[in-house]
Amino acid sequence: MSSISQVIAMINRLEEDGVVERYAIGGAVGATFYLEPVSTLDVAIFVVFRPEAGKSLLSLQPIFDYLTARGGVIEGEYVVIAGWPVQFLPATSPLVEEALADAVTVQVEGMPARVFTAEHLAAIALQLGRPKDKARLLLFVESGEIGTDRFKAILARHGLDNRWQEFERTFLSGAK
Amino acid sequence: MTFDLKRMIESKIALRRKLAGRPVAEKLAMLDALRERAVALREATGHMPHSAVHEAPEKYRAGQNKGKRSKR
Repeated sequence: MSSISQVIAMINRLEEDGVVERYAIGGAVGATFYLEPVSTLDVAIFVVFRPEAGKSLLSLQPIFDYLTARGGVIEGEYVVIAGWPVQFLPATSPLVEEALADAVTVQVEGMPARVFTAEHLAAIALQLGRPKDKARLLLFVESGEIGTDRFKAILARHGLDNRWQEFERTFLSGAK
Repeated sequence: MTFDLKRMIESKIALRRKLAGRPVAEKLAMLDALRERAVALREATGHMPHSAVHEAPEKYRAGQNKGKRSKR
């Protein structure tokens, strides 16, 4: 079993034990479910937090407590599991909330792993807009993994049409 | 071996498609290997090349060599 598979197994337990309501893998590891592997140094796990009674602020502490009790090591904003720094990210935008709700379950070595859809990964990359996100978005476009209608509907719902047009002008005009 | 750029690009695309089509478990194992290599390079050179597109710029080997951080 790969180290990332061990991370996924641990995150599944985190959800099964009710520490988080729902999780989905995003970032470069999420993209690897659809594309060729691209080097990454951490694992981005998006979570829907389980609200704690009497607390209005969201806290990562229950997640950290759960994982450190099972061998995880906290380093900065990461929890290191099986050698991989894992970052837990709350849904901070309607797009990520939707991505979490629509995430799909894929079997990895007989184990379920929930991951963002290709269309949501691409839309999030467009929204973030860092160089590495643009590179990832290009990979998605070139791969043909994203369903055009579904992708464009996501862009329209989240006000990303103009950004997409700009991306097309910059990177895709003249491309086959 | 060819110096025909068009054929080289086609060949690269074909290799990427082949990699993308591998089973997910196999691709995740490749991420393990890629990360090991990236961390080793970072430790050896003290930094990542600024021109490279790479994931989150962590500056340590997680869970190992505790307290020994590589130079930026």
